[in-house]
Amino acid sequence: MTSIEFRNLRKVYKDLVAVSDLSVVVESGRITGFLGPNGAGKSTALKCLLGLAKPTSGTCLLNGKEYSDLDHPGKIVGAVLDSSGFNQALTARQNLKIICAANDIDDSRIDSLLELVELSKAANKRTRGFSMGMKQRLALAAALIADPEILVLDEPANGLDPIGIAWLRDLLRDLAKQGKTILVSSHQLAEMQHTVDDVVIINEGEIIASGPLKKIIGKKTLEEAFLALVRKK
Amino acid sequence: MRFIKAELLKLLYARRNYGILLGAMALSSIGSGFTPYALSRVPDALVNPLTQSAAVDSVYSRALGAYILTVILGVLVVTSEFNQKTAIATYLAAPKRYQPLVAKIIVASAAGAIMNLLATLVGMGVAAYALSFYPEAVAPSSSIWISNSLIALLTGAIIAIIGVGIGSLIRNQSFAVTIALIWFFIIDRLLAVLFVEVGKWLPTGLISGLENLKFNYQGPVVHVSSTDYLDPWPAAGLLTVYGITFVVLSLLTTTRRDID
Ligand SMILES: Nc1ncnc2c1ncn2[C@@H]1O[C@H](COP(=O)(O)OP(=O)(O)OP(=O)(O)O)[C@@H](O)[C@H]1O
Ligand SMILES: [Mg+2]
Repeated sequence: MTSIEFRNLRKVYKDLVAVSDLSVVVESGRITGFLGPNGAGKSTALKCLLGLAKPTSGTCLLNGKEYSDLDHPGKIVGAVLDSSGFNQALTARQNLKIICAANDIDDSRIDSLLELVELSKAANKRTRGFSMGMKQRLALAAALIADPEILVLDEPANGLDPIGIAWLRDLLRDLAKQGKTILVSSHQLAEMQHTVDDVVIINEGEIIASGPLKKIIGKKTLEEAFLALVRKK
Repeated sequence: MRFIKAELLKLLYARRNYGILLGAMALSSIGSGFTPYALSRVPDALVNPLTQSAAVDSVYSRALGAYILTVILGVLVVTSEFNQKTAIATYLAAPKRYQPLVAKIIVASAAGAIMNLLATLVGMGVAAYALSFYPEAVAPSSSIWISNSLIALLTGAIIAIIGVGIGSLIRNQSFAVTIALIWFFIIDRLLAVLFVEVGKWLPTGLISGLENLKFNYQGPVVHVSSTDYLDPWPAAGLLTVYGITFVVLSLLTTTRRDID
């Protein structure tokens, strides 16, 4: 069974076609980079996958099911989305407790997760004062809280410093080794080249390349290959 | 259940909600605390109103005025999720959109009922204390504490649900709160006294119907008498219909629109 699949996904906002006809299968147990220029439709496709936006047509499947047909979606897929946030008046721990309650997960994982994302010291601080990197780490903790088998990450490296980015790379590789399926979007191509197994590149709502990283880039760097593909259009 | 637990945590963690509760108590108390003074100074009164039990009951019923703040509680239950961008986490946890929303409606209505009850009880306590300064004041109706408590529970729950509906329709927090306040603080109240024919069908007029006070005021601008309002049971029924309407409205808007 494939973990993530887009089937002829189309999403139109008024008269703007954000995703035009996306069909792609994401291989299980691998890290797939979801790449494309600004406005290519990455976040839109991920929101459709996660049941937050309604596709104009087509379907998105997780473990062969649409999001709305998963009993406990939070236990199967964890997500970091660029437009999601935390209640700033509450502490990091309180925010995670709410997420645990909503997903019917035991609170006991909160401490170990805060440690994993290196936020133990800030656990009882209000998230209002959090830096961008701290918020991003907390978002990763929230995505991992139910130990899901699938991770959907929209620009998780946003706001992380170089140490954070290296830490994230190791974390993702580690999670993939545990057999998790990871779909991650990013604009940091040099970083992605060191992280991902496969790539899916989209532009203006359409797929322009997909497959194993090595096959797509050949002897070029990911950045060179990406620029060549996007400019060809 | 898990969604209700999550909504309860959100409600209890937010310190702002305790501020709203205190505000509701203050609003009830100010209303009922000053009314004896106002009544004792009604110009041209043939008899002192405080010697009439209907007037004394009206002092106790001023304590019901905090329902205006339960609408804010309801609005915030929905809009704060969009304001703080936590809506995504909330809806990611649920396969179906209606699940978190139903939890919000249940928690908001329960919290609205409890908040309005507490505010009304405090306000009635203040009423009793304020009236003690007027030796001529007679005792209120024997059922006033019970009946006002029941009215507080019903109106608190339903006005909070209306708030959830307003928040679902208008996701922008400041805009939704402003609209709710302008409606309940000004328009609904004015209609209930200046245009009773319309106002008696709206929440504030219906709450006046529930209060079931006996009065007849024929002033230069305002002509209003208790017989203008609906009887308590029809008023309760119509108020409940409003609650159901707003439940349906919020379900329709939340299940159709994208979350971002
Ligand atoms: N809610 C919305 N309403 C209208 N248009 C939208 C909405 N969300 C996205 N769009 C439009 O859809 C297109 C795709 O946007 P999307 O956010 O999916 O791109 P992206 O690939 O994630 O870009 P970025 O790399 O900048 O994050 C853009 O033109 C955007 O303006
Ligand atoms: Mg994006």
